[in-house]
Amino acid sequence: MATKSMSDVLARDVAYSGEGISVRSLEESIHQERTVQDSKVSELKGLRERNVEIQTAMTEELQKLRKFSDYIDGTATKQGFWAGFKEVLSYIPGLKSIAISQRSIEELLKQQYQVSARRVKEAAEYCDILKQSEQELYTEINRINGKIVEAAQNEKVALDYVLELRTMQEELEAELQALEAGSVEARKIETDMDKIRALLAQHSSNVQLYGAAEERYANLKDNTRKLAETIRNLGQDIQQYTTAASIKLDMASAQIQAIGRAADASVVMLEMKKSLDVMTESMNVTTQFVSDTQIFFRQNLDKLVEELETFDEGTSQLLDENLQASKEIEERRIQSAIDKAIKARAEGEIGGDGDAAPAS
Amino acid sequence: MAAMNELVTLHTQALRGDVVPAYLERLIKGMRRARLNNTYPDRRRIQGSLETMKLAMDAGLYEQLYVDARAGLPNMASFTRVLTDHELAAGSLSRMDDTAHYEQRRDEAEVYARLLDKRRYFEAIVDKPYAPLDEHRVQLRRHDPETGTAEFRLDLTKLDATGIYVRITIELTQVSSMWRRRVIDLDADGESAAANEAFHATVYRNASYDAEHLFIHMHDIEGVSVDRVQRGVIGPVMFALPAADEPGGLVVQAEPERGNARLAHAWRRWLETNSPSEPELVMSFQSDIAARDVREEKSNDPLEDLLSASIQDSERARYAHTREQFPFRVFKDRKFVVTAGTEPLVKAICQAAGTKNLIYKLR
Repeated sequence: MATKSMSDVLARDVAYSGEGISVRSLEESIHQERTVQDSKVSELKGLRERNVEIQTAMTEELQKLRKFSDYIDGTATKQGFWAGFKEVLSYIPGLKSIAISQRSIEELLKQQYQVSARRVKEAAEYCDILKQSEQELYTEINRINGKIVEAAQNEKVALDYVLELRTMQEELEAELQALEAGSVEARKIETDMDKIRALLAQHSSNVQLYGAAEERYANLKDNTRKLAETIRNLGQDIQQYTTAASIKLDMASAQIQAIGRAADASVVMLEMKKSLDVMTESMNVTTQFVSDTQIFFRQNLDKLVEELETFDEGTSQLLDENLQASKEIEERRIQSAIDKAIKARAEGEIGGDGDAAPAS
Repeated sequence: MAAMNELVTLHTQALRGDVVPAYLERLIKGMRRARLNNTYPDRRRIQGSLETMKLAMDAGLYEQLYVDARAGLPNMASFTRVLTDHELAAGSLSRMDDTAHYEQRRDEAEVYARLLDKRRYFEAIVDKPYAPLDEHRVQLRRHDPETGTAEFRLDLTKLDATGIYVRITIELTQVSSMWRRRVIDLDADGESAAANEAFHATVYRNASYDAEHLFIHMHDIEGVSVDRVQRGVIGPVMFALPAADEPGGLVVQAEPERGNARLAHAWRRWLETNSPSEPELVMSFQSDIAARDVREEKSNDPLEDLLSASIQDSERARYAHTREQFPFRVFKDRKFVVTAGTEPLVKAICQAAGTKNLIYKLR
């Protein structure tokens, strides 16, 4: 083997892209990526809590609207229309125990319309939050993809170098066989072989770390994509529901205005019932959505969190194993050095010419 | 473009595209120009709502602006949007990322650009005044516990079912010894008051009627002596908005005759002979007073006569008898805000009616 070629290989500054890798840095990097997922899951949990609040409020309002509508229809009262109507009014905030003649129906309808419009808008606010989360997760997937490619490239660089070193090691071993043991030439070759061994230890560790990183980032990407898709589906559902509810509310608003002051005259009760029914329908659609979302949250969010946690455990376990393996390699190497040192002392060769300690 | 002249639901048109800012800008300027005093609904708050609508449409938060096809003003759905946006603004802002975050990412994805617009919209409206759909207040003007007499001012602002904004101020005296339990209740220290539900509902239900009608109706309530009824009305508004993307296309309100028949008739005729190339508007602001201290019964409103002038002969005797019982006179007036193209129309209307009205021109 040409001396120049060997010294070139041994002195080569192997160019890995990125910031370099160690068990700790890989763990930190994975942890950092997981933080993004965690924050999105937290947002979903926050939405779930807010969902419960809105659902409770809407269920109450829907009950009021239904009763209101039923009594106007005259179908749900045993004591006649007016008795029923008074009872219904008692469900509306601030209207307990007052007679029908004492409140304007038009005013009540407008107030209820405003409450309904607010509820639908509150639900629609989810859409923007979810769309932003989805976008952030796709940005994250792009970043993870970059890391996967980088890890794969670095693994290849490490493998190529390890193979080169291995070939060189075999060549040196063959050369050593032909030399007299303990001769100057043999000592020089042994020195180079030690350097190769040290480099092999270092770069074979990199092969392992970059390989693990590639695999873990790929898993992380799958989970991130799953989370993004979940969020997108939820956002699309919300948009569909709230658009339908808004259209119905717009119609209800026109009907309330069209009925106007006549709303207080019994002749237009049928018209008024129509506007109430439309408003009820709108609230119904929104409540149905909120309710479905509850089921969605129950079925998907917990499962997702569980999967992510399992992934966490898996990742930690792999990282632990890797850490353990690295320690063992290190220990073997140190032990090997110690063995060699003990052996050298026994043979009186410590400090002998060309006896190089392995680079660490 | 003709689609915008058609109803999307009862008495409702949906305006889209370039005509929306043109329409809202002129309404906003018109509100400022009209010099409305406290007879009318609070100008600042209605203007605030119109400005908020414009901000929302500019930010692309809504696809269309709903307009009342009779009154020519944004309808209840549009005014409610402003209200609910105000109710949700603070909460939404607290949940959103800061402006810099969206600015940095606005080119990355459409959602960031939209959220940036939304954030700026919420920030812009958060301290802005906005109009209520309804607002009801009662003020105690004078209270004499010895005689059991109390004078009140009742103030109701309402987006009326006819699509116009109305403010009604009623000054009345309660003379009944039972007044604490009657129309208006005083609190224990005699310093603040609230109309009872029935009285409030009576005023609310009759808000569409004129001051004369309200005076008679209120005065008829036992224990109450009405001193003054005052109405200030914003609307109706006539509009003709050239559509930029359709040569010769004009967006006009669909049901002006349901707002004010006399104005609508003149407006229709004006449209037949004019092809506006600029947005044209006529905004009207009626005031209507029935009070003891009005000197002369008169209508200076070219669009609405006094009840006494329009009543059928068969009802005249009964009407005269009713009026004899009530010590008040009526004065009606109306002022206008016009664009350059509609100024001659409004002047002609006033001339034909023999009235002298304030006509403010939009610059």
